[in-house]
Amino acid sequence: MVLSQRQKDELNKAIADYLYSNGFQGALEHFQKEAGMPQELEKKFSGLLEKRWTSVIRLQKKVMDLETKLAEAEEEVNSGAPTRDRRSPGEWIPRPPERYSLNGHRSPITRVVFHPSFSVMVSCSEDATIRVWDYETGDYERTLKGHTDSVQDVAFDSAGKYLVSCSADLSIKIWDFNGFECIKTMMGHDHNVSSVTFMPSGDFVVSSSRDKTIKMWEVATGYCIKTYTGHRDWVRMVRVYQDGSLLASCSNDQTVRVWVTATKECKAELREHEHVVECIAWAPDSAQPAINEAAGTESKSAKRSGPFLLSGSRDKTLKMWDVSVGLCLFTLTGHDNWIRGIVFHPGGKFILSASDDKTIRVWDIQNKRNHKTLLAHPHFVTSIDMHRNAPYVITGSVDQSVKVWECR
Amino acid sequence: MSSRAAEAQPVEDIQGDGRWMSLHNSFLHDAKEKEPEVVLIGDSIIAQMTQSKLWEQMFEPLHCLNFGIGGDRTQHVLWRIHNGELDKIEPKVIVLHVGTNNFDDTAEQVTEGILANVKSIREKQPSSHLVVVGLLPRGEKPNALRQKHKEINERLADELQGAPLTSFLRIDDKEFMSSEGVIRRSAMYDFLHLTTDIGYQKLCEPLLEEIQNLLGTFIKVESTSVETASLAGDLDHAPGN
Repeated sequence: MVLSQRQKDELNKAIADYLYSNGFQGALEHFQKEAGMPQELEKKFSGLLEKRWTSVIRLQKKVMDLETKLAEAEEEVNSGAPTRDRRSPGEWIPRPPERYSLNGHRSPITRVVFHPSFSVMVSCSEDATIRVWDYETGDYERTLKGHTDSVQDVAFDSAGKYLVSCSADLSIKIWDFNGFECIKTMMGHDHNVSSVTFMPSGDFVVSSSRDKTIKMWEVATGYCIKTYTGHRDWVRMVRVYQDGSLLASCSNDQTVRVWVTATKECKAELREHEHVVECIAWAPDSAQPAINEAAGTESKSAKRSGPFLLSGSRDKTLKMWDVSVGLCLFTLTGHDNWIRGIVFHPGGKFILSASDDKTIRVWDIQNKRNHKTLLAHPHFVTSIDMHRNAPYVITGSVDQSVKVWECR
Repeated sequence: MSSRAAEAQPVEDIQGDGRWMSLHNSFLHDAKEKEPEVVLIGDSIIAQMTQSKLWEQMFEPLHCLNFGIGGDRTQHVLWRIHNGELDKIEPKVIVLHVGTNNFDDTAEQVTEGILANVKSIREKQPSSHLVVVGLLPRGEKPNALRQKHKEINERLADELQGAPLTSFLRIDDKEFMSSEGVIRRSAMYDFLHLTTDIGYQKLCEPLLEEIQNLLGTFIKVESTSVETASLAGDLDHAPGN
């Protein structure tokens, strides 16, 4: 640090005053001689050195206070939204800043999911572990270890008694969510298992793999009972329609396919995406009115009844499909990079998406527009989930953190 | 005439900690699991790019992998290409910088070595775009190696002209020098390697532009000229929330 001549003179005078007022007479005389200063001390420098000394700390504290205030003000600005007590479950959406940022995983997060009833959530990671967290308190609960390579997906059965996970180690594991023990390991895929989910009954799970197949497994025996073939590349995700009659899958071959669960027949091949399709989600019944509105269905008699399926792709778009006719109803654009996760708002009016552009976005279905954008993580956002009843959204990222967002 | 610069060879582990082979294995694992759209391969100039903030800001959003190893000569990178680093991936763009460590080979030999890498990359990834980065200058003052690099770059520009899906990116030596031809330590801290800010900015900006042109898609990357890191978390443009 360089001082100007004037500042140097002032500092010297302040030091001289300090020496004088503390009775360091010998040092003062020496100092004045060496610095070439006059004998007499100027009054206005009395106590200046001490003042400067303490002011640094005072200013630091001031900065901290202002930063806290700024954070509060930012929160205020965002709560142009309804306050906590006035929010309604059909309208609430995640608001910044995040309520918790949870660290512990040692590699990128691959999926985050809510437990259907307890106040816990589960995250899985390329670090080969699954972690359980309390999203209300932000507490870390425990780690499930057993996989030997990147865990790609996790899902609960409808009661939340069991958790199923799949991994790049080629295995699928079922965990008892009371004892937190792995009760079954199922092998059969020839490559990375990318996605897994329970059938509504809970008796079967379906999985998708980089080996281009989808498989159905019987939980009781651990046997693979069906294999769905047709995709020409890595199958990224598989999801079951609410009544269990249909499966949807998406793939690196840029298609979305819909399968009849019972017969293994491929009912529809939906191609319009221009890059790998990363994720899919079936629309809940509550979303039907908004989707019909968005699709511009005019007469009431011609109302579409779906089922409707949403897909998200590396081509940066989201597409809504009417599976009954195999048509793309509309496309949502706005993300600036790969789309990695999608979830329907339980109220049926919104879609939430997570992207490698580091944001999560809320989309207004009826008006087909980007309703809100939140800069969510400093790196790619890989997964998003929304609770069915409670006002919470969770996200996971390549930055190895899991974030909990409160909705208002 | 072929030279050892064009013959694939692993690095001898003279220090005894096996780091080079560990890195190679780590790259093989990444190649198997990740799906990069852009791969950078080569020597320390490539490797140290990941230590710069520019990597995070400009390259990570493009889904890049960095297969650079400090000290690698043309024959070493060639060995790594022969041994699987580009086998399991389908990148749209590959970037190569190698040759500066072949300090005791002739310009002709180094050029052959680089061209052997180009050929090998073409065989492994016939449909990817390849960007060959010209050798950067080295040494504080004009010297024989600088002169040799100049010659290599001229040969490369010549040889690569008209090669399908291949472009030669040459950064003007003057970018790293004062008007008297002295390399500035603010750009190359040891007169060879780039500084994480100014040095890499000179290389990364034109490189990023080239890559984005080839990808034909402009992923939004962070501006590097202005510090924009700490904007509030809410980028909402939509009215009525």
